[in-house]
Amino acid sequence: MPEDSKLVKQALKGDRKAFEMIVRRYEQPLLNYLGRTIGERETALDFAQDVFLKAYAALPSYRPAWKFSTWLFKIASNHLIDHWRKKKLPLVSLDQPIDGEEGSLTPQASDPGPSVVRVLELAEIRDRIERALESVPEMLRELFVLRHVSEFSYEEIAEIKGLPVGTVKNRVFQAKEMIRRTMGAP
Amino acid sequence: MSGCLSPDRIFLYLEGELGPAASRAFEGHLGRCPECRAAFNERRLLHEAFTSLAPLEVPDGFARRVMEAIPDGSGAAFRPFAALAAAALALAATLLGFRLAMGESLTSVLVSAGRAAWAGLGGSLPLLAKTVKAAGLILDLLSGLAASFAGSLGILSSFVRPELALPAVGLGFALTIAMILGARRLLSIGEKP
Repeated sequence: MPEDSKLVKQALKGDRKAFEMIVRRYEQPLLNYLGRTIGERETALDFAQDVFLKAYAALPSYRPAWKFSTWLFKIASNHLIDHWRKKKLPLVSLDQPIDGEEGSLTPQASDPGPSVVRVLELAEIRDRIERALESVPEMLRELFVLRHVSEFSYEEIAEIKGLPVGTVKNRVFQAKEMIRRTMGAP
Repeated sequence: MSGCLSPDRIFLYLEGELGPAASRAFEGHLGRCPECRAAFNERRLLHEAFTSLAPLEVPDGFARRVMEAIPDGSGAAFRPFAALAAAALALAATLLGFRLAMGESLTSVLVSAGRAAWAGLGGSLPLLAKTVKAAGLILDLLSGLAASFAGSLGILSSFVRPELALPAVGLGFALTIAMILGARRLLSIGEKP
């Protein structure tokens, strides 16, 4: 399989097949990211198409020194932000603590709370996670998805979102603890 | 037990984000503290589930659908000349539309456009000729300078060691330029009163 930068070069010369290969390579990861973040598969499919169209139009601005997946997901992330703005969802500032208390979601393990997953099978846990994800604020959910569904490194996520690595780590952790708490809620 | 593991460290350990020394300390504590072990086991199960969520199904023909949404000819290729030509055409069309809207007949608009084109061509030809002439003069000057530089190098190398000839000629040229600039300033040549 040709490298991304090679395909981009060919697409820039007008080779539509090369761009179609890029679409086939990234349709699954992009749909997972968008779908898991917004929670609606059909909307996510429309968004994925929009993101590919935006990427195609922006290809002349792409530099081979950049990792293509990071560049593409940055476009996708901006698309989501536009969507949330249009929906007038309250955008959580990722630079501020979610609860107003930085340490509120970092209890010591010596007080682990109820072990909500001990008796559950993995498949059931996944179902519960998917449901619990809906209760996590969009901006935190997005970071969680980038890390655990799209499997980007914390450094790559920081680049996509334009945030410090420490902030990304903290927010991903907060999302996970929120999911855990929601799963344990009656 | 003191120094218990915080949940964020447990997750970082599970993701392989702790360094080797921190990981060893982590494992050491885990072996001694049953409470942390319970917290660790719970989060390990969660971590496993987080990283194995089922992928969403991409419908057949999605890539085709995307490609069909990209109109033919809307290539991503950067074509500056095409953009320039399109801009010129758009400008010409706008001007034509404007003059027609002002009540001028199509014939008179075309005639005046033709005159303007000829005038533009007539004006640009002398400019082109001057540019070519100036380029020739500059080339002459540069080749003269290069020849005198090579000549000086040859003469100098007969008096001094060859490895010193090049820096000496360079120094000579630099001094000459400095003197010319100094004289220019002294005599206020080219300066406005």
